[in-house]
Formats: sequence, C-alpha cells, structure tokens
Amino acid sequence: MASKTFDTRKEVDFVVIGSGSAGGILAKELSTAGFSTVVLEQGPYRNAADFTHDEYSVLIQSELLGGGNDVHGQTFRHYEHETAGPPRDRITPIRYAPGVGGSSVHFTANFWRLRPVDFQERSLIGPISGTNFTDWPITYEELEPYYTRVDWEIGVSGAPGPFDAPRSKPFPMPPMPIKSSGVLMEKAAAELGWHAQPEPHAILSQPHNGRAGCVSCGYCMWFGCEAGAKSSTLVAMIPLAEASGNCEIRPESTVIRIDTDDRGRASEVVYLDRDGVEQAQKTKAVVLSANGAESARLLLMSASPQHPDGLANSSGFVGRNLMFNQHSLATGVYEHPLNDYKGVQVSRIIHDFYDTDEKRGFYGGGGIDARPLFSATPIFHALLGTDPNAPRWGKGYKDVLAHDFTRTLCFVGSNTSLAMDRNNVTLDPESKDASGRPAIRLTYMDHDDDLATAAFFEDRCAELHDAAGAMKMWRFGIRPNTGGEHLLGTCRMGNDPATSVVDSKHRSHDVPNLFICDGSSMVTSGRGQPTMTIMALAFRAADHIKAAAGAGEI
Amino acid sequence: MSPEDLSRRMFLKSSGALAGASYLRILAPGLAVIAQAACTARDAEAPFAVLGAEEARDFAAIAARIIPTTDTPGATEAGVIHFIDRAFGAEMSGQLEFARNSMTEFNNALRGKHGDTARLDELDEETQDDFLTSQEQTPLFNMVRTMTIFGFFAMEKYGGNKGKVGWDLLGFDGNHGPWTYPFGYYDAEVHGGTNDGE
Ligand SMILES: Cc1cc2nc3c(=O)[nH]c(=O)nc-3n(C[C@H](O)[C@H](O)[C@H](O)COP(=O)(O)OP(=O)(O)OC[C@H]3O[C@@H](n4cnc5c(N)ncnc54)[C@H](O)[C@@H]3O)c2cc1C
Repeated sequence: MASKTFDTRKEVDFVVIGSGSAGGILAKELSTAGFSTVVLEQGPYRNAADFTHDEYSVLIQSELLGGGNDVHGQTFRHYEHETAGPPRDRITPIRYAPGVGGSSVHFTANFWRLRPVDFQERSLIGPISGTNFTDWPITYEELEPYYTRVDWEIGVSGAPGPFDAPRSKPFPMPPMPIKSSGVLMEKAAAELGWHAQPEPHAILSQPHNGRAGCVSCGYCMWFGCEAGAKSSTLVAMIPLAEASGNCEIRPESTVIRIDTDDRGRASEVVYLDRDGVEQAQKTKAVVLSANGAESARLLLMSASPQHPDGLANSSGFVGRNLMFNQHSLATGVYEHPLNDYKGVQVSRIIHDFYDTDEKRGFYGGGGIDARPLFSATPIFHALLGTDPNAPRWGKGYKDVLAHDFTRTLCFVGSNTSLAMDRNNVTLDPESKDASGRPAIRLTYMDHDDDLATAAFFEDRCAELHDAAGAMKMWRFGIRPNTGGEHLLGTCRMGNDPATSVVDSKHRSHDVPNLFICDGSSMVTSGRGQPTMTIMALAFRAADHIKAAAGAGEI
Repeated sequence: MSPEDLSRRMFLKSSGALAGASYLRILAPGLAVIAQAACTARDAEAPFAVLGAEEARDFAAIAARIIPTTDTPGATEAGVIHFIDRAFGAEMSGQLEFARNSMTEFNNALRGKHGDTARLDELDEETQDDFLTSQEQTPLFNMVRTMTIFGFFAMEKYGGNKGKVGWDLLGFDGNHGPWTYPFGYYDAEVHGGTNDGE
C-alpha cells in the first residue's frame, strides 16, 4: 500500500524514530487516532516476499543485521578503565535488525509476560549494593490490560502455565503443538518434580486478524517469516498505520540528531536520507523508539549547549543500566531422531526457578526452554552443533553429522541481569559507523549474581538431559557477556528525575514533547524474552500520549 | 551470553582467519550472476573462474579429506570446490591472496616431508590424513574446513551441495517446509501415528 507522504518543512503531529517492536505499535496507535505521523526508520522496507530460508546469506552474511562490524564500527570493553577496541572475534556487540518492523522481524518470538514480582522485586528482597536495582513506577496490574492487547492485536499463541500471572482474557489461540524436544522436557520435568508448560509465542498457531497461521518451516530465529505468521509489527501494525491515511513510513532514513528550540522543546528531527543527504522533519512532538542501544546513542549525539551531556540526560542515566539477560545452555544427543529443526524453536518451558531464592545465596531467576538451537539449520549444526569431543573432520566427523543432526536438543536458561552504572552505551571517541556517526561503545561486565544465576541454570539444564535420557551431553560454562540482543534499561522509567530518564508515562523528564518507549524503558531485566513487555509498554505509552495530545498537554 | 550470541560467536571463532571484513559484507545483487556461473561450472564440470586448475586441485584435495567420500557422497561429489572458487571471486575475494600464500606454504611443508613432487591427492588416504593432522591448527586448514562446510551445506545456488547431498547426509528434509506433525520419534505418540524419525 502506498503510504501518505508529508512535507519535511511542515510540522507533523508526531515523528516516531524507529519502527520496531515498540515504534511499530506507537505509529499505528497514533496514526489511527488521527494524528499525522512520520516514521523515520534507518533500515530498508522489506516485505514477507523478501524473506528467504537462505542460511548462508542470513546467518553467515548478516543479511538482516545490516552487515557486520565493518559497517557498525562498534567497540567493546568490560570495564571503564580499559580502552574499548573492536570486538576481538569481529562480531558486532549490539545486534538488532534495522528495517521496517525492526527486531520483531527476525526475533525467535518466545514471548513471556513479566510477573507481579518483576515490578516490585526491590521492595520484596531489599537493595543490592553496587547496583541501581529498583522497583518499577508501575505495577503488573497497570500493565495487564496492555499485555492482553498484545495477545489479541499482535497475535499470541499459548496456554496458561502453573505459575503464570493472572490474565484478564484467555490467549486468543492455542499454543504451537509440542515437538520431540518438548516431549523430552516434559518427561524429564516429571521425573525431577518440575513443571513443563507450553511456550507462548508471538507466532500464530492458526489464522488470526486476517493473517495466516504458522506452517512450521522452522526458520524463526534470525530469519524473517515468509508466511507472515510471526507477529512482527511489520505484519501486525504497519499495514494498519498505513491504511489510516495519517502515517508515512520513511525507510532508509537514519536519524542523527533531535534538535530543540529556544524553549527547550524538540522541534525537528534531523536525518540522512538514502543518498546520505541531510534532511530535517519538523514536528510537534517526538517519540523515540530506536531500541535500548540506539535511543541512547541518539540522545547522546543530540548534545547541544543547552543540553551539554545529551538530550534528556540531566540525570546522567541515558545509556546506563544496560541489561542483556544472562543465558546458559547444555546440549544433548538422544537415541532416536527428533527432527527438531522443523517447527518453531521452542514448544515447552520450565518456570519453576523464576523467583529469586535466598537459599541459593544470590539474586536472580529465570526460565528454561527446550530447542534445537544450533541444530535448526545445516551450516550452524556442522560448525557449532557437533560434540566438541568428536573429530572435527574426516570420516569420524561425517559420522557424527549423519547421526546427531536430527537427534540433538539444547536446554537453554534465560536469566536476570542487574542494572548497574558500569554497564552502558556511550559514544566511541574515535570509531565511526559507515554513516559517519560516532559508533556505539559498549562497556559491560555482568554482576557476580548474574553469572552465579546462569551457572545455577546451566546445572539445571544438565540435570534435565540426564533425566530425559540423553546418550551424551556437553556444556560450555558461563562466560561474561560481550554483547547481546536484549537491549534493556538505558533510558529507564521512574518517578524521580534524578534517577530516571522518562516518567511513568514515557515522557522525558527534561523535554516535555519528547517521549521514549522501547527496550530502554525497562527498569529490571525480567527473566529473558523482554519483547512482550516492550510491546505492552508501547500500547500503554500510546494511550497516555494520545490523552495528553488530545488535552493539549504536549 | 545468549544462545543467539553464542552461536554467532562460536561460528566466527571456528571460522578463524576467514572472518575478515569483506567476508561479512552483505551479498550484493551482482553476486547472483557469479553464483549462477559457479552452478553451471559445477554441473558441467567446467573450468574455474578464479582459481587455476592446479590451485583448485589443491583446495579440492583438502576438502575431500574434511568431508571424505565414503559409502555416501563427500565434498568431491558435492562440488564444494565450485563453491570455493565462487566465494574467492565474491564475498571472500579479500582472503584470496592470503589463501594462495598459505597454500604455497602448505605445499612446501608437504614436499619437505614427502618429496619434491608430492601432491596431497597422490598420497594414500592415511598419509594424507596424517599430514593434515599436522596442519590442523593452521589458518589455511581452518579456512578450508569452514569453506568446505559452507560448500557442502549452503543452498545449491552457491555452487556446491550438488543434488543436496549435504542435506541428505544430515537427514535434513530441505529448507522449504511446510512440515506436518509428528516431526520425530518422541512427539509421535502425542500427535498420533508413528514416526521413527528416519
Ligand atoms: C536473533 C534474535 C532473537 C531474539 N529472540 C527473542 C525472543 O525470542 N523473545 C524476545 O522477547 N526477544 C527476542 N529478541 C529481542 C527482540 O528482538 C527485542 O527485544 C525487541 O525487538 C526490541 O524492541 P525495540 O522496539 O526496543 O527495538 P527494535 O525492535 O530493535 O526497533 C528499533 C528500530 O529503530 C531503528 N533505528 C535505530 N536507530 C535509528 C536511527 N538513528 N534512525 C532511524 N531508525 C533507527 C532500528 O533500525 C529498528 O528498526 C531477539 C533478538 C534477536 C536479535
């Protein structure tokens, strides 16, 4: 559908920066409410027909990531006293998908709500020294109606589990069917006295809202969905935004600065068009949804004499408190073929260890899922998925490939990360990305409790393989994060302008017509799978922004 | 470290020297033409675009020991060398000079051990494997290993995996779907019907 176009020199009601999980929802909500909306998205506008099952291009050549670190120029260090350099293994530290729909296009679509405890954990268990661990300014009850809207409007399949938070409406459709990995997890959980439950997905198990259901092709993780069954904002929201007649999606538009006027209000958004030519869109208000790394980078890049430390940064909290979620895994090989490369990655999860348990001696919790992981596609399996103790080449290697590919399964733990000053996104003083912007400098060292939690979960993953009857099993040990895909916490919500960037309604404390809503808004990390919460926050933020705009309070 | 992260990280570690900048470049549209040429060459066993015949023979000889021909097809039957030839003209062109120099060193070492005119593929298989074991830690070996895996398992359009022999080895039914349940042995009892997964 050809979208409406707006003149850059005429003020629109809203510019939304980024069209990902949060931005796609905000664009749809604001435009269908009648507000003129321009979405500036740095990546291309791909459609379902552009997505392939080409493992070599997508996984090996980083097709959907906009290329490798030669393009992004990011630098990394564990601690501030070190000089950040290019990542030693050349992998871009911060990974997301530039493009219309953002990272909701290529994500795996495991989709967990937070629970009441996640919002109030600081009150429940007390402070943790050296961290910025704190309660959210909102509760689960306040967000629940918006989780339900995500279920129904974005499209979520699932069934309630024994420990789930209360929901006001049932899932709109049944969970994806169980796979062999899920059957083995159920068996092991029963033996250990734990509870396996169906995995909720942002993937349609049956037709919904005019979209087709999943065909179980197996190309979810890192790939775009050709069937349109994965509930990205590209398929669930952007078409509605464009159909409103009030929304222009402007792809290949890389925002480099938000400019403010004499009154300190955001007045125009400066970007490079697809030819690299600088443009500026005038606007009454700005919604920043560029994700937990890029929103921070853009605010820091928007420093001016009025805002010397970056826009909306009087607290100094922009870019700080980055949380990746820690992870752990153990791989097992079974007697009979699972063929787990077919279908969605995950069909069963275990949430028995969600809460912090003081008996463990450290903060943290998480969930465990069963999935093929490396063994979902041939090249990854051959490079990474084989038994580390087996031969790497020759007949022995070939035998292992032939036997194990269809028989391999991973148990994966997704865990908490604590918010800390030392984990942050800043502008690299030297390195630039291909567009000439100062590159992201990532500084990150997990809290000891995060590493301990991940180690605890790795042990549970190994126990599951034992209980499920794996013929052989291996694990990697826990290593500190040197990058991530969950980009959380860098413009956190809060009531106190001294320790947060936006208020509980996503309005920045410093700039009244600047709203920030995406992964950066999160106050704590949850237990992995943050995107359900990011989307619920976006629906909720939109309600508040529409109300304020309607009342002339922006 | 997330599973997604670990997977990419381990991949680049395992592919060693080949993770150069040009390597990670996004596939440009023009490369489709080169890919097509590689497929035509593979199917007709025509000459190579980038590598000379003797060079190609050296790369093919290593690939043939990494995934050997047994009772099932190996790198040779899959046409892995055509993938390698194509890649050196495209996304791995930045690695070609390094690969050529390394191959000269490889052959010097081989000749130092097995005589002035030795060629890898003329030695008996056990001797080949012994020599390759001595080279296992070299960037060249790891580069050829990774390219062999790519050539054996990437889609046929990249020049190798002829007749999808790589996918057959794994028991991978193809990259197309849709698939219907049950997929394997363990879910068969839940979904009804039987499936030995084979
Ligand atoms: C391989 C992979 C698997 C994942 N699996 C899961 C999962 O199973 N479950 C889960 O919950 N999460 C998963 N995630 C994480 C999930 O994708 C993110 O949490 C989520 O998409 C973040 O939403 P967001 O709105 O904050 O940002 P994004 O979705 O990243 O959107 C930000 C958008 O802003 C654009 N942008 C950035 N900077 C600019 C600029 N300067 N100018 C213009 N546009 C800009 C970007 O191009 C992008 O389109 C996964 C991520 C990856 C990479």
